[in-house]
Amino acid sequence: MTAQLTARPRPTGPRSDRRRQYRRRARRSDLLVTALWASGAAAAALFLSVGGAGQFGTIADAITSLGIVTGLIGSDFILVMLVLAARVPFIDRTVGHDRAIAVHRQLGKPALYLLLAHGVLLLVGYGIASGFNLVTWVVDTWQLPDMPLAFIGLGLLVAVVVTSLVAVRRKFSYEGWHLVHLLSYVAVAFAIPHQLSNGAVLSQGPQRVYWIALYVLAFGSIIVYRFLEPLVASLRHGIRVDKVIEVAPGVVSIVLRGSHLEALGATGGQFFVWRFWAPGMWWHAHPISLSAAPTENYARITVRDLGTGSRAITTVAPGTRVWLEGPYGIFTDSARTAPKVAIIAAGIGITPARALLESSAIAPGEATVLLRASSENEQWLWQEVADLSVEKGAKYFEMVGRRSSRASTWMSAVDQERGVTLRSVFPDLLNSDLYICGPSAWIDLVEADARRAGMPAHQIHAERFDW
Amino acid sequence: MRTRAALTSIFASVGVLIIGWQAGSAAMSTTQPSVTATSSGTSGGTTSTTTTTTATVASADGTYTGDDVNTRFGSVQVEITISSGQITDVTALQLTDADGRSRQISNRAAPILQSEVIAAQSSNVNNVSGATYTSDAYLQSLQSAIDKAGL
Amino acid sequence: MRGTFETMGTVASIVLPADGERVVASIRRIFDDADQRFSLYRVESELSRINAGELSLMSASDELRAAYALAMDWHLRTAGAFTPNRPDGAIDLNGVVKAMCISRAGEMLFSSGLGDWSVAVGGDILCAGHSPTGEWNTGIVDPFDRTALLCSLPLGAGRRAIATSGSAERGDHIWTLERDAAAEFVQVTVIAEDICIADALATAIMSGGREMLDLATDTWAIDALAVMTDGSLLATPGVRSRVTA
Repeated sequence: MTAQLTARPRPTGPRSDRRRQYRRRARRSDLLVTALWASGAAAAALFLSVGGAGQFGTIADAITSLGIVTGLIGSDFILVMLVLAARVPFIDRTVGHDRAIAVHRQLGKPALYLLLAHGVLLLVGYGIASGFNLVTWVVDTWQLPDMPLAFIGLGLLVAVVVTSLVAVRRKFSYEGWHLVHLLSYVAVAFAIPHQLSNGAVLSQGPQRVYWIALYVLAFGSIIVYRFLEPLVASLRHGIRVDKVIEVAPGVVSIVLRGSHLEALGATGGQFFVWRFWAPGMWWHAHPISLSAAPTENYARITVRDLGTGSRAITTVAPGTRVWLEGPYGIFTDSARTAPKVAIIAAGIGITPARALLESSAIAPGEATVLLRASSENEQWLWQEVADLSVEKGAKYFEMVGRRSSRASTWMSAVDQERGVTLRSVFPDLLNSDLYICGPSAWIDLVEADARRAGMPAHQIHAERFDW
Repeated sequence: MRTRAALTSIFASVGVLIIGWQAGSAAMSTTQPSVTATSSGTSGGTTSTTTTTTATVASADGTYTGDDVNTRFGSVQVEITISSGQITDVTALQLTDADGRSRQISNRAAPILQSEVIAAQSSNVNNVSGATYTSDAYLQSLQSAIDKAGL
Repeated sequence: MRGTFETMGTVASIVLPADGERVVASIRRIFDDADQRFSLYRVESELSRINAGELSLMSASDELRAAYALAMDWHLRTAGAFTPNRPDGAIDLNGVVKAMCISRAGEMLFSSGLGDWSVAVGGDILCAGHSPTGEWNTGIVDPFDRTALLCSLPLGAGRRAIATSGSAERGDHIWTLERDAAAEFVQVTVIAEDICIADALATAIMSGGREMLDLATDTWAIDALAVMTDGSLLATPGVRSRVTA
């Protein structure tokens, strides 16, 4: 089967190239972070630029001004969140989609709090102005243009954030949660009219232009990168399921066939979001890593049935049409910053690791691979990895066995007692890029161990499957 | 977050806020001088000429009223007139005597008897001012008579 | 020479030197353009469209928004006595627009090199320099007998503009404030250097009554003559000196 998938590894060149590449990526990453915070400051600056600094004279004025500023900053954060979720290639190539989503999640509650504060503070401000006459108060606010829509929008946003809280999300199926989450688009859209028709800040001039441009940017990113580009790519490459091969009970490899796949620019280690056009499956798209380097006509994914969604995929029939979004992820050769490579994968997490190994330009002796499984039943694709390791001149280790129930460790109980450590497996650890893939909790343990051993964060690359 | 990212973010954000603040101050100062025409000073004196602009944004020339300033003579409010960029007139609008009562010369309307008013003839005037007349009513108005007479 | 033309539902009378005929057309254009935009008697005027809800104030032309801003400015300065909003909620800028046009006509006349002229539109008058008879003598109509004059007084430097508001024929833009059950004045005349000030204050005093009259004379450099419902007169010192012996 591997004969079909002869890949052409892309060489990245000597060590200096890698350092330069890393520095460039680091600069881009810094740029993104700065842009995030500066956009928040810009939102506040919009208020200042219409003379807002002088509007804090009386209590009522100060409260109203604060209400305006929180609304501006909160909306800005929401727009940033949209951009982060849009899977913009620049952002994905710089920090990786999973990191972008992590930041997206972190902004959720602050953004909501700011917007709730916006509502409350302005209501209080109006209240003071109307002498807290409830009737005038409600009537005044309700009668402002587009306010009813804005209230509904805020309500929807509350629903979206609440259902995304970890505790609440667990009660929903992924589809149910996702559906509610999509309402965030509606919430954002409902808020736009009242922003443009009320108040002095956005009523005219460069401030208005800037604000509209922000919305164009955010929605534009979503439309282009979440809808248009994937649609075009899917139609262009015409991908269908070619073969479904059972690797082990509950685990299948699906070979996909299409045309001009090299145009996708995917490399081993990356993932796509796949949509299978089969009954019951078409309305849910799945992020799945490539399990081998893609060629001009073939790509392979390996899926374990871990839930209703993935179980359905394992039963897909050859010939089924497939749409894709991607490639995403920086679990790749181009993320390398150090001379050596250390790869450690567990369970079905082996898939991107195996693809990465295949795609990377690795000189003999540069790489060390460790595969981890709880039992012999979970050694999917291990033979392929072993073969690749021989081919690449990489050292290859296996660690099988349950971990000790007493200690919290990523290792098997046996190996832990033997005194195995990360440094003992990977002697050049501090001089390596460490690629980790597997269950999220297990990755956390490996990462913690690596940090303790003195590894800097930028040399650790983790591919988490559960965002 | 990396140090460099943190520092650049702080600098950029502060920079953006300062620019916004400056833009706001500039915007406020161009609309700042509120043009108020006030009556001036002493009885029998000439009222200062106030050239007030009719547009909503004040231009540099005009008459400006300052804030109340406390001096040893009491509270003084000053009105200055600027034309062609130079201060051409300064008037003290309001003087408080030592007891703090303001001495303000009143320009208020007071009753006047019809008998005191010199009778006026429409033949002696160039124009007539009254409540707005419609085009139809104009024909019967005094203004039309004057227009026809061609004075 | 005198030129007259109909505009804004009333009649304009322009007095110019003999060779001034050429500018009458230009003055007319100023008024016609404004009428196109602001007339509530034309369904297609910009202001009518705004009142009908077809156009929002936010997307109106700069001129309309400037006029509205000026009206709101007067609204604030007269503590609400002057208002461009009719009781039914529609916006009526008739008050400020007429005065703005007269003022603009005056500027145009100055820039055409003419220094002696008067522009009278529907009872509002602005003049400059000398009249054919020397001073610009202006009569004030008796509200109880429109064929007679109450008095006449000369307009000159410092007091070049006169405007009269009355609860007569075209008083549509005067909405008496709630607190006055009946209007205190039947007619108010304001004399100032600027026609917009004179017009706005005359309107404000008509609706605001005695209180507004005192506020106006305290705050602005104006003179005023007010006729009360029983025919008695109130006059500022400046008017008194000009109309009495």
